[in-house]
Amino acid sequence: MTDTMNRIAIRPLSRILPARLRGEDPIRIEKENLKIRHDQMRDVERVRSNIRLLLIIVMFACIYIAIGARLAMLASSQPAEPITQSSNSSVFTQRGDIVDRKGRILATNLETYALYVETRHLVDPLNTANKLAILFDDLNADDLYSQFTGTRKFLWIKKKLSPEQMQAVHDIGDPGLRFGPRETRLYPNGALASHILGGASFGKEGVDSAEIVGVAGVEKTFDSQLQDPTYSKNPLKLTIDLSIQAAVEHVLEGGMRLLNAKGAAAILMEVDTGRIISLASLPDFDPNHRPKLPSRGSAAESPLFNKAIQGVYELGSTFKIFTVAQALELGLVDPKTKINTKGPIRIGGHKINDYRSNGPELPVWEVITESSNLGTARIAKMIGPEKQREFLSSLGFSKPTTIEMIEANGGKPLLPKRWNELETMTISYGHGLSATPLHLATGYATLANGGRLVNPTLLQEVKPVLGPRVISKEVAENSLAMLRGVVTGGTASLADVDGYFVGGKTGTADKPSSQGGYDKEKNITNFASIFPINEPKYVLVVTLDEAQDTSGPEPKRTAGWTAVPVSAEIIARVAPLLGLRPKFDNHSTIGITLSNWQE
Amino acid sequence: MTYLEYKIRAVPKGFSKLFFLNWPIILLLCAAGAIGIIMLTSVAGNSWHPWASAQLKRFFVGFVLMISIAMTPIWFWKSMSVLAYITSLGLLVLVEFFGSTGMGAQRWLDLGFINLQPSEMAKITLVMVLAFYYDWLPDERTSKPLWIIAPLALIFLPFFLVLQQPDLGTSLLIVIGGGVMMFLAGVHWGYFGAALSLSVAGIFAVFYSRGKDWQLLNDYQYRRIDTFLDPSSDPLGAGYHITQSKIALGSGGWTGRGFGQGTQSRLNFLPEKHTDFIFTTLAEEFGFIGGISLLIVYALIVVFAIIAAIRNKDRFSSLLIYGVTFTFFLYFAVNMAMVMGLAPVVGVPLPLVSYGGSSLLVLMVAFGLLQSAHVHKPRGVI
Repeated sequence: MTDTMNRIAIRPLSRILPARLRGEDPIRIEKENLKIRHDQMRDVERVRSNIRLLLIIVMFACIYIAIGARLAMLASSQPAEPITQSSNSSVFTQRGDIVDRKGRILATNLETYALYVETRHLVDPLNTANKLAILFDDLNADDLYSQFTGTRKFLWIKKKLSPEQMQAVHDIGDPGLRFGPRETRLYPNGALASHILGGASFGKEGVDSAEIVGVAGVEKTFDSQLQDPTYSKNPLKLTIDLSIQAAVEHVLEGGMRLLNAKGAAAILMEVDTGRIISLASLPDFDPNHRPKLPSRGSAAESPLFNKAIQGVYELGSTFKIFTVAQALELGLVDPKTKINTKGPIRIGGHKINDYRSNGPELPVWEVITESSNLGTARIAKMIGPEKQREFLSSLGFSKPTTIEMIEANGGKPLLPKRWNELETMTISYGHGLSATPLHLATGYATLANGGRLVNPTLLQEVKPVLGPRVISKEVAENSLAMLRGVVTGGTASLADVDGYFVGGKTGTADKPSSQGGYDKEKNITNFASIFPINEPKYVLVVTLDEAQDTSGPEPKRTAGWTAVPVSAEIIARVAPLLGLRPKFDNHSTIGITLSNWQE
Repeated sequence: MTYLEYKIRAVPKGFSKLFFLNWPIILLLCAAGAIGIIMLTSVAGNSWHPWASAQLKRFFVGFVLMISIAMTPIWFWKSMSVLAYITSLGLLVLVEFFGSTGMGAQRWLDLGFINLQPSEMAKITLVMVLAFYYDWLPDERTSKPLWIIAPLALIFLPFFLVLQQPDLGTSLLIVIGGGVMMFLAGVHWGYFGAALSLSVAGIFAVFYSRGKDWQLLNDYQYRRIDTFLDPSSDPLGAGYHITQSKIALGSGGWTGRGFGQGTQSRLNFLPEKHTDFIFTTLAEEFGFIGGISLLIVYALIVVFAIIAAIRNKDRFSSLLIYGVTFTFFLYFAVNMAMVMGLAPVVGVPLPLVSYGGSSLLVLMVAFGLLQSAHVHKPRGVI
């Protein structure tokens, strides 16, 4: 006891010494002292930990207040309608509409529903399978039942339901039958302008929505723009005029049937801007039910094939005017220069001749109106291969057209492998070089607007840009005069629609036969026309595939009897829609056309 | 002050201990539990089955467990701290090898009568062992670097084991809970400053590593973070929970749609409507008033517990109470923040309300410890 007492330090001496003198116990004082110091230390510690505690509490209180405030915020927020319950229209990717130049709808969206099954929610799989099989002919009750009771949790039944079908499925009343909202592309005009619009189908597909992707035509070309919500509020405005398109397609189809043609194409274009007012290719299809690509046979035979843009054909005599225009431009000839038209020309094992003999010589303008192969070939010989190739490529005949359609790339002109004197002569009257009807329309539009290259376009909102000058104004005017001559006194006399001053050039080319060489019985007939020729505004190109007029004793297959009357009918129908007023020079004569024939 | 310094005679004995329980806390716990059972009835379509009846049984078992733990002297529990901690670590290792997998993570041990979630247990045993450690450690050593290592090890062992499961939410809660305890125990401020800057750097590294070879988190965890930052980016996928629960909270308004009228939860828009997202049902059916009421119940529990901790002169007891309280606070704060889109979706239940055995039982055990510390607190100095 005393040992331990001794070891304890005796502090503070100032208190202990007097205490010892008083006879008190210093150990007790020491203990009291120690306790006081402990208490002081604990108090300090307590205060310190209280500061910390306070800090933690403040921090947590902040979190607490944030949660409470958030709760109040959410409670006072306008409750958004639960997304999964509504018709899901907000989840849709609203694809942009497509309209014509006057804002009339060409393509829009329709809300439909897809049908799927969640098997674990099915109450009565057998009954459901039977009833579905009754509703949809292509479904089999046994197959459905085995799928419903198999391992699959989820399966699609139908991708598109009409409202009536949906109601019928709804009436089956099984909770396992589910509807997924769909946006479906609708083309309210059916097959009208089908080749321009192309079509759309479902892309990535989820339960509650599906992406629509363009598969052809402008739908595919402008797919990203149509899908982009920032653009899709404004519809895509095309240069097409719906009523004119309808008239053109109607007349073209009638002409095609009447002339027993396999197919037909027509292009109506503004010469100063390159805007396409109407573009048709027959046979066509309904983009609402776009057919599948044929697995057999030629793709060019399919209704999906756009003859105006994808079809490359030898365009025949319609080319002659380019040869003459170039010769005029180069100053090699003037319209009255006499050209040797004695036939035949023999070159490299080939024989060039005229359809019917034109005598020993013709002035240049009559080479055009009489459509002399010999005369054109001799003019081309003066020009030479190099310059001819240059000129034709400056008119756009060396590349696909630049129209805003995905199909345009398929319409790449076929140029001869060697381009020597023989090729120069045949190309001068449209053989040995193949191009699309749209190429032809572009070339004629260049002549019509006074010599500036045009870029064909389908976009109404884009300011058109004219290309570089290809021929001089004077040469263009001379060429137009010759084209008018073709109608007034040449091969295209049936095209003289009263009051509209049509000028143009016919072209008849034998089709290449499958055995090689040409098939005399089958041809592509073209008529490229410009109206009104005194103040050129529009170019119309009509192409008929294997047309023949069987009304006479002999079948007539030349353009003058096929493409020309069809063109004339189109112009007569379309000119008033375009706002053209007929002008009559002298006494009016009654033109006999198909439209007033019934009277 | 330790127990040697006061008279054990001052501690109530036998059934008289019942009078010294912290009754306000017990009543508040029962209130929260009752709210939970009401909500579970509602989400089951106004039916006792399958959730409410099971939850009521568990609550009853938990309540009995809490009272019996409270009657056992705190010094007994104190002596069990290290053992409890080691046991829970062992269970965490065990779950790694034998655990049943659920929701993409191995979290449960099937003990036959209950699916035990050792990560829940670890939160409480960590609180116990840290309280024990700082009670034992002399004050002047608290901030010595050498004496910092041990508690850090104690925190990070369960952290890594839980992270392995993987359960990012719970593992982060373990770290935060442990950190708060170290802070209250008096560890120097500087350490926390350093830890804070380290974690900022860590978050940066986590984002930076994304898509690289050494990616630190799972893809699903990154998606959850993305979803948290912008839930509307993927309203039908990963953002579905949050979008739907916000709609539910919004449609509840101030007074709610009424009991059993919650469309979001009743019509199965919300998965996990009876577990982690049960608060949405409460807020939809009883509106802001219902939600804030539960929040007030929780807040009162925290306030009463903190008062109890301040009044308790025993260092182990007071640290234990703080630890239990802040763990509890973190639970409901994180859950509510998550449901309301203030925090990323991590699997944290709403304490006492969410359906689930482990979390309820562990919480009742924790509050049992709290009560024991309260009943056996030092009374009357020598």
